[in-house]
Amino acid sequence: MRILEEGKTDYLKVDPDGYRASVRDHKPHQMVSKLMTHKEAVERFVRDGDYLAYDCNYFQRGPSSLIREIIRQRKKNLWLCGKFTYVACALLVEAGCADRIDIGFIGFGPWIARAVREKKCTIYEYSNALMTLRLKAGAMGIPFMPTRSFGGTDGFQHSGCKTVEDPFTGKPVLLLPALNPDVSIIHVHQADEFGNARVFGTGIAHAECALASKRVIVSAEEIVATDEFRRDPARTSIAHFTVDAVVHAPFGAYPGTVQGYYASDPMGVIEAMGAMFRGDFTEYLKKHVYSVASHDEYLQKVVGTEKLAEIRRRETIREGYAS
Amino acid sequence: MSTPATDFNEREFVICQISRLVDDKYIYWVGGGGEPMNSVLLAKRMSAPNLQYLTEDGCVGPEARVPFDPLMTMISSPANYRALQWGTMNYAADLAQLGYVDYGILATLQVDRYGNVNSTVVGKYEGGEGRRFGGPGGADSIAALAWRTILVTDQQKRKFVDRVDFISSPGFLDGPGARERHGLPPGTGPWRVYTPWAMFGYGADCQLMIQAIAPFVTLEQVLEEMSFKPAIAPKLEILEVPTEEELMILRTQIDVGGQVTDRGRWIEFKDGKYRFATP
Repeated sequence: MRILEEGKTDYLKVDPDGYRASVRDHKPHQMVSKLMTHKEAVERFVRDGDYLAYDCNYFQRGPSSLIREIIRQRKKNLWLCGKFTYVACALLVEAGCADRIDIGFIGFGPWIARAVREKKCTIYEYSNALMTLRLKAGAMGIPFMPTRSFGGTDGFQHSGCKTVEDPFTGKPVLLLPALNPDVSIIHVHQADEFGNARVFGTGIAHAECALASKRVIVSAEEIVATDEFRRDPARTSIAHFTVDAVVHAPFGAYPGTVQGYYASDPMGVIEAMGAMFRGDFTEYLKKHVYSVASHDEYLQKVVGTEKLAEIRRRETIREGYAS
Repeated sequence: MSTPATDFNEREFVICQISRLVDDKYIYWVGGGGEPMNSVLLAKRMSAPNLQYLTEDGCVGPEARVPFDPLMTMISSPANYRALQWGTMNYAADLAQLGYVDYGILATLQVDRYGNVNSTVVGKYEGGEGRRFGGPGGADSIAALAWRTILVTDQQKRKFVDRVDFISSPGFLDGPGARERHGLPPGTGPWRVYTPWAMFGYGADCQLMIQAIAPFVTLEQVLEEMSFKPAIAPKLEILEVPTEEELMILRTQIDVGGQVTDRGRWIEFKDGKYRFATP
């Protein structure tokens, strides 16, 4: 294939053979219980220097409680998959956990330009769907994904993409490097102890993240019996053998929503957005991360049972979300 | 009920303009929230009850329950209420790449002569010197793959530039044939740009052309708020003001908290003409 044009920046090394070997050697092929705490899951499966993908975001069925735990454990030098996200990238960079971002869409404000200027953070340009397509390629065990978007943009120059002459049609087509994150964190409605998981309603790329990532932590609103999955197998979104840890995290997406389970907390959402737009997360991190030792303690002491009851009550739509 | 309104603001004006284009014969991909989302929600209640729109999270044809909580325009039960189908992002992108998306509707920061869109950086990209924004998000897929793209922005000099500081999402790039040369599907591209003051289309040269203006501004005022001089249509139209019915639905059902429509100058009908209200 003739290469017509190439992006000029770094991208996570593409290695489908290496990924296959890691699936063979490290993925739990057998049904084993993986229930553990936030603390243990993050200690065991998130490592300094990892490429981290989180699915959805801090406000919309995101693994917000796991993000807070990663910050609490002061992980370092993470490379983030910044797709469809508002504040999570900002939180992780400002907390000193992340120093590279592949950007699809992130919450901006003064923090990001400052982080780049101060060389605290290197950024690479993509789009939301380009990132989910990269994950799709990673989830298929192939080295790249062709796509018909992104050509001619300035983002292309700052990406790991290539434009080639398609050997079948002779026309230019764009190739995206496959993405196999070191670790993905995914928040779901229901999981069993083995890691079979269900997402109800729309999502971004939870299935792709689980299949494409070397290590996977699933946090779940509810832990249900495996029989629940056997009763309705078509609704299984994620299979147990892709998952390394299952964390029971009721209200794990707070201040965000989990469709059908609880609404967002607008006050909590705006508090986080405000910190981002002011470019100062000091107080936010102190209150929401460092002041407590665990997610349970956070719910009790920082959020409070009244607020939790209120957001549960405000979520009145159930159609399509009940099992 | 289709009485022309006598008091409205700029943002309500532009939402009503776009809403009137929306028709349930077509499939739309609506970018994020803001004016695009408000326009389709209004159209669904006015003229297009069977409206089929997609959002980035792969939601197909919802009957959204409004108003939304702040930022909850996707992956939330009210936004995705009574949809025909729930998918994920790659599904939405695949539909667009297949040619199912007739129109994409996008709000943006900055647009240029060729309809290229910047939502990444104003000023210099290198070294974090410019003012950084969120990135293309879903807009690159929409702008590249929808048959036609409708853009919304403000009528300000800094938003209409000869060449955007950074092409986040493609317009016609640098002219006829450029999209195809860069691997984008043929027959796609920018179609309209709406601002609270004017509506633009594109000429055969792929360049922006002013086609209509609002009744409360002059052509000179519009041109004053652009960094380059666009082509002007041989017959310049005047855009119709919102109706009382459109505003009632917008204000009482859709943007109840004024999240979208609380910005922008007010216009009033006074002494036989529409003009900016003097505070």
